[in-house]
Amino acid sequence: MKSFACSILLLMLFLGVAVLEARQSTVYASVVSTKLFVVGAPNPQTGLFYQKTSDDTLWQHTGRNNIRAFGVDVHTPSKGNVLCIASGNGVHQSVDGGKTWKITTGWRITEVLSVAIDPRAAKTLYCSTPYGVYKTTDGGTTWNERTNGMGTIFVQTVTIDRNNPERLYCATEEGVYRSEDGAGTWKKTGLHVGGVRSLAQHPVNSDVLFVGTDDFGIYATTNGGKYWEKMAAGLDHVAFYTMVFDPTNPDVMYAGGYSTGVYKSVDGGKSWQRMNDGLTNLNVHAIAVDPTNGNRVYAGTMFGGIFKSENGGTTWRYAGLSGAQVWTMTVQPF
Amino acid sequence: MGAFGPMKTTFPILLLVMVRAVAPAQSVFEQRHAEVVRVASDERDRSFSTITAKLKTGNDVPYALAMLDSLTKDEAIGGMFYSYSLIGCYLHTQDLLPDSLKRKVREAYRTRTMYRGDTENHWVMYYTGLYLAAQTWPDEEGSRWFNGRSSSENFQEARDWLDHWITISSTRGQGEFDSPTYITTFMTPMVVLYDFALDPVMKKKAQMMLDLLFVDFAAEHLQGNYGGGHSRDYPEDIINPLAAPSTFWAWLYFGEPGFPPWVETRYRPRHRSGWEPVFGAVSSYRLPDIIYRIATDRTTPYVHTETKRVRNVIRFGKELNPPAFKYTYVTKNYILGSLHGGILQPIQQHTWDVTYVSDKPNNTIFTLHPFYSGKELAMFFPEEEKFLSDEVDRYHKVYTNPNKWNSSSPYEQTFQHKNALIVLYHIEQGVKQPHINGFFPKNLDEFVRNASGWIFCRAGGTYVAIYPLKPYQWMEEEVNWRLRSHELNNGFVVEVGSLDEDGSFEAFQKRLRLKKPEYSGFDSNRTVEYITRNGDRMKFTFGGERVLNGRHHSFKEYGFFNGPFVQSKLGSGVIRMKYKNQTRTLNFNNVSLVDTP
Repeated sequence: MKSFACSILLLMLFLGVAVLEARQSTVYASVVSTKLFVVGAPNPQTGLFYQKTSDDTLWQHTGRNNIRAFGVDVHTPSKGNVLCIASGNGVHQSVDGGKTWKITTGWRITEVLSVAIDPRAAKTLYCSTPYGVYKTTDGGTTWNERTNGMGTIFVQTVTIDRNNPERLYCATEEGVYRSEDGAGTWKKTGLHVGGVRSLAQHPVNSDVLFVGTDDFGIYATTNGGKYWEKMAAGLDHVAFYTMVFDPTNPDVMYAGGYSTGVYKSVDGGKSWQRMNDGLTNLNVHAIAVDPTNGNRVYAGTMFGGIFKSENGGTTWRYAGLSGAQVWTMTVQPF
Repeated sequence: MGAFGPMKTTFPILLLVMVRAVAPAQSVFEQRHAEVVRVASDERDRSFSTITAKLKTGNDVPYALAMLDSLTKDEAIGGMFYSYSLIGCYLHTQDLLPDSLKRKVREAYRTRTMYRGDTENHWVMYYTGLYLAAQTWPDEEGSRWFNGRSSSENFQEARDWLDHWITISSTRGQGEFDSPTYITTFMTPMVVLYDFALDPVMKKKAQMMLDLLFVDFAAEHLQGNYGGGHSRDYPEDIINPLAAPSTFWAWLYFGEPGFPPWVETRYRPRHRSGWEPVFGAVSSYRLPDIIYRIATDRTTPYVHTETKRVRNVIRFGKELNPPAFKYTYVTKNYILGSLHGGILQPIQQHTWDVTYVSDKPNNTIFTLHPFYSGKELAMFFPEEEKFLSDEVDRYHKVYTNPNKWNSSSPYEQTFQHKNALIVLYHIEQGVKQPHINGFFPKNLDEFVRNASGWIFCRAGGTYVAIYPLKPYQWMEEEVNWRLRSHELNNGFVVEVGSLDEDGSFEAFQKRLRLKKPEYSGFDSNRTVEYITRNGDRMKFTFGGERVLNGRHHSFKEYGFFNGPFVQSKLGSGVIRMKYKNQTRTLNFNNVSLVDTP
């Protein structure tokens, strides 16, 4: 009887661990290049990497090697079965969790900087390029230019509103544009500065947006872009390449950019504090927060690989991909 | 006597005369063609061109097969350079390859990343490779290709882009135009496309593009040198023009210079490890005689102008592809050529020089502002502005170097009329590297820094005079003297002459010692007026007007091509070559070429 009870206990422990394992999030990082990159030459592996949150410095590669991978988006409802890479060659798409890949775009779409998958319709994709925005509604079989009202301008990122998939925002060289009709038409928002590098939407109130700019610091709006307010005095001329909310606590935000390390705000972006203990590369281009554990934060750097914090940015440690130019990161809850 | 009576006797004689005129050049071409393949077949470097040469000649075949095998195994290698040359090698030699190796070549197009790249030459190589590979293995599913696209999708995409490139290149010019280095990356894919495109229209387009590339080169060619301004070039080739890969193509097709590029130790031949002209040597493409004549007849000096285009400006600009204007004066002794100035290409632009015929290396003189900025690069590349300079420096080595010999600069502009040039600099306060560099080879036959302010140079029968507007330093380096000036508002007046034009070097100097440019108030008005030794009055204001003999100098007159040998209206798609009574007209609108007589 005693041995039976022990067996049951062990089985429960095993199942518990297995469940915990299953609940581990997956971290994705798109790597544009490394310090050794030369176009056309034999190059160290770059592209899309992923790991489980327990994988320490171990990363696995998926998709094509050396594609100048700028962006990645993962379709959360399909648990990552559909995922896309924004790359120099176009939009790479997998619909089987990364087993096979296809470049869905032709020659007219190039230097793709970001890609966004509509969470409610995985065949609807948007991508941003130096030549504007493109959209497909058939999973990439046909792409159409969607620049009405915007023109051929440099678009860094395209973001789908979390509450309304017809509403989109673009961070561009000329400010922020907004569409209410699935990229059919675009209208410039009230932001009066350009060089917008990143855009973050509040996890609860979708009218609250923050942007990081190349030379003008951080701006925020509480009305979907009608009016913008300059945030964080003292960071006026800092270049911010990435801004994210902690999905588990909307008052917590992180931002990173050129020589900034990681800035953290715990009051919804009103004030910011540098959190760089252990972060040995201060050029941060990507930050991602684990949606299952807000204390777990990743920072992707320019040519310094990835750093990880388990305490909300208080301390950091190196987490792999040495020398990588990490452009975008995301953590998915599966 | 019938209507055709006189022809019965005169036609064969005429034909004989024509054959005699053409035959030597052509037969010598065939000899050169064979020599390139023979010499390349002895090379041991691991390249598809030398493999092709070995297999074509039957020389060193086991080694060639082993090299090809290793190149299909090494997964670290891939990309656009690999793609087009692998399929070129394969199509030239497939009858000689064992089935196992054929399968490995095919497999490479599934397992490798054939990255498309981010420059015009990258795309030409990538899409040529993709076109021919998809043509070679049609009707295959996406799972058989590196990009997941089917053979038909790949073929259609490649064909569409090649059509697009041919159209824009034949109407508005190349973005990477007239490059002594990158010419290889356009010529080679086009000869391979010409040899193997099954679609007769695409084959014809490839032939016409080759004619266009060659005549573009020929009109600014002088005994192996690619004269005039260049969109892109490496510093080693800029200061030593015959070391450029274009020399190899010139020797192979124009027969100049008079020695094979690989035997001349005076020219550090960067192309030694690049035997891509092998693909030209084994090609069935033959240079039209008219282009050969245009490349080699320097009996009469001439002005040749062109309009090209800037590569895609993706931010910080008003226009996607602004025009680039080019002016070149060609004589049998030298070429003086210039781009109009500003940023026309990032990183490797060469704005002006005089390149002269010489039996010594480093046969060129020029000045530049060694500008660099992340913003310049961010105009053309999507990566972050604050990191781009370092990134480019990593593989182009000299981008941020204050002593570099290639540069575009927004602070440099030129105005040329025949053998006279004014180059002006207006460098803003606070700009990095606020100085001007000038290259003067140390092996000049005569060199005088005269009290009149002129610097006089003689190299063989070519004379160069340069008048710096402001003070400068003179620095000795390994192969050259470096003129360096830290004056932010500065400029040079350049006159080039020769034994034919000026008589003795002393006479040339004497004519110029009495001449001085007028530039009082230059710091505020940035204007120079100068009457050339031939009596033409040039007036040039930096950022302002160019005036010749009281008349506004208009770039509109440059045409797409405008010169005695090549004429084309910008945007027309029709390029007309002319040499004596011969003409050849390329009409890209209806993909036709017409020769007369």
